[in-house]
Amino acid sequence: MIEIHNLKKEYIVEEETPTRALRGVTFSIAQGEFVSIMGPSGSGKSTLLHILSFLDRPTGGSYTFQGKSIDEMTDQELARVRNKDMGFVFQSFNLLSRLTVYDNVEIPLLYSDTLPAKRRTLVEEAVRAVGLGEKLHTEAGKLSGGQKQRVAIARALVTDPNVIFADEPTGNLDSQSGLQIMEILESLNNKGRTVILVTHETQTAEFADRIIRIKDGVVESDNPITADRLRRGNLK
Amino acid sequence: MLFRDAFKTATRSLAHSKMRSVLTMLGIVTGIASVIIIMSLGDSAKQYIVGQIQSMAPNMINVQPGAPVIGGAPSSVMGLVVKTLVARDVESLKREPSITNVAPNVTGSSRIVYESKSKSTLWIATTANIFKMTNLNFSSGYGFTSADETAYRHVVVLGSKLAGDLFGDVEPVGKTVRFEDITFRVIGVLEPKGSGMFSMDGYALIPLPVGQKQIRGIDYYQELNIQIDPTYDTAFAKARIISILRTSHQITDPTKDDFMVTSMDETLNMLGNIMSILTIFLAAIASISLIVGGIGIMNIMLVSVTERTREIGLRKAVGATDRDILQQFLIESVLLTLAGGIIGILVGATIVGLIYVVLSTFFSIGWVFAFPISAVILGLAVSGISGLVFGIYPARKAGKKNPIDALRYE
Repeated sequence: MIEIHNLKKEYIVEEETPTRALRGVTFSIAQGEFVSIMGPSGSGKSTLLHILSFLDRPTGGSYTFQGKSIDEMTDQELARVRNKDMGFVFQSFNLLSRLTVYDNVEIPLLYSDTLPAKRRTLVEEAVRAVGLGEKLHTEAGKLSGGQKQRVAIARALVTDPNVIFADEPTGNLDSQSGLQIMEILESLNNKGRTVILVTHETQTAEFADRIIRIKDGVVESDNPITADRLRRGNLK
Repeated sequence: MLFRDAFKTATRSLAHSKMRSVLTMLGIVTGIASVIIIMSLGDSAKQYIVGQIQSMAPNMINVQPGAPVIGGAPSSVMGLVVKTLVARDVESLKREPSITNVAPNVTGSSRIVYESKSKSTLWIATTANIFKMTNLNFSSGYGFTSADETAYRHVVVLGSKLAGDLFGDVEPVGKTVRFEDITFRVIGVLEPKGSGMFSMDGYALIPLPVGQKQIRGIDYYQELNIQIDPTYDTAFAKARIISILRTSHQITDPTKDDFMVTSMDETLNMLGNIMSILTIFLAAIASISLIVGGIGIMNIMLVSVTERTREIGLRKAVGATDRDILQQFLIESVLLTLAGGIIGILVGATIVGLIYVVLSTFFSIGWVFAFPISAVILGLAVSGISGLVFGIYPARKAGKKNPIDALRYE
């Protein structure tokens, strides 16, 4: 599903020496995998997620998504893939607080070719799937942090994407809410969706089947969860 | 994104910040209302002036002494004494079949006195047929006659306002007034014509020979007013008048004319043109406020784009294209200016209506209520276009935002 080879990303800030966020990253992710990308601050893990989720373009190497190279795609095509095949869950939820739960979840459908009549059903299904059916017409700003993140997951689900990208989804939540969110992501993966998670919390990362560790813009390790635990001497 | 959804999204955003939306609209409201008021009042003034001329002087042609000046007034109007219009001209004109009446006149300004009251006024010495020619009616008494002219009788007809100022509640007819050391007997008072620019309400009318010979001591006229037989074409009659006067003045070269003939049609056209140019000029000045209003819209939209950077980032992350975002912000700015335009039109219509009521009720002016549909269309078009023009830059800026930078914006 996702294949990257020698992926590079350099930022040039005011003619200074380029900052090399990614220095040649290579891996592939198959359909239905649950992958955690871990690494310390500044390691390049968020940059990698942004490129994988088509929010940014690499400056070197190759990236093929569902058999098509990112280099061959226009910005408009990238937007269409983001809408149709990708779902996003952000650390800071990124909900529009003045809108209701319904309106927030509906946003991705506004940019798809889904007919208005079908939208209502899809939104209601997605909101029910995260257990917030009774909050459908509540303003997003009035929800708790955990509820907000569940709304964000419903928004990510509503277009029925193949892959969900989650950037520190539990970062702003208490442990109980964080656990609920990870269980939802795990159940989505169990239903066949690919989940790619960026986190710096080991406990959160271990919900995945595989952990890719990034350090200084390169892959430090790429192991299934059991091997990763072994490597850290933490296998129970 | 469907236009319907973009429209709904835009209206929600505007409704979310109602006070800001209203304040942003104010500039456009003021601009459109100003343009509407000026255009409507210009149209009203034009209709009013045309109505005044037509009611007072139907089928009239005016002859001024002095060489005609293209695009300007004849030299006599500019203060020069020109003595080319004389009795011989009047006699020649009276023989022309297309002419029904000729009324020469001489004017002057004097202080008119009744007992202890006096008032500075303009008097017009003219012939008796002027009353019929210009539809002047009497509230009391009657006008002077040809016999009064021949006999040099010292009689005067007063305009209604002048009569009121001098006599108050006393009936003026039969009383005497004095000006230019001559005692005049008041024989008539004209019906009020309102305070329009062609009103005779403040004037005194006296027989031509009294004003011309006895007061001014001249043998020429300052103006000829000629009434045309309505069965004749005005242009034909005008050509005949020019021909007669050239013969009378022995002029063979048309460039050497020493008179200027203007038909009422031409005067109306000229006045109409002047009013239209004046209206356009004033509307152009008023439209400056539209530019200021538009800049206000642009400013607020730029603030809005900055404030909603994360929203833009989110929308782009979930599939919005540059065009979707541009469309959303452009609809917001056009909605703001269109709403401002509609409110401006309503405010303008209300003020125009109030002006009509005030002028008609309190100033007895036969003002015409005019609210041209072109002003409404122009108002809507200008407000819509200003929304597009002033909204495009902020909307493009929003559309061009990089999703990552936008999502990271604090």
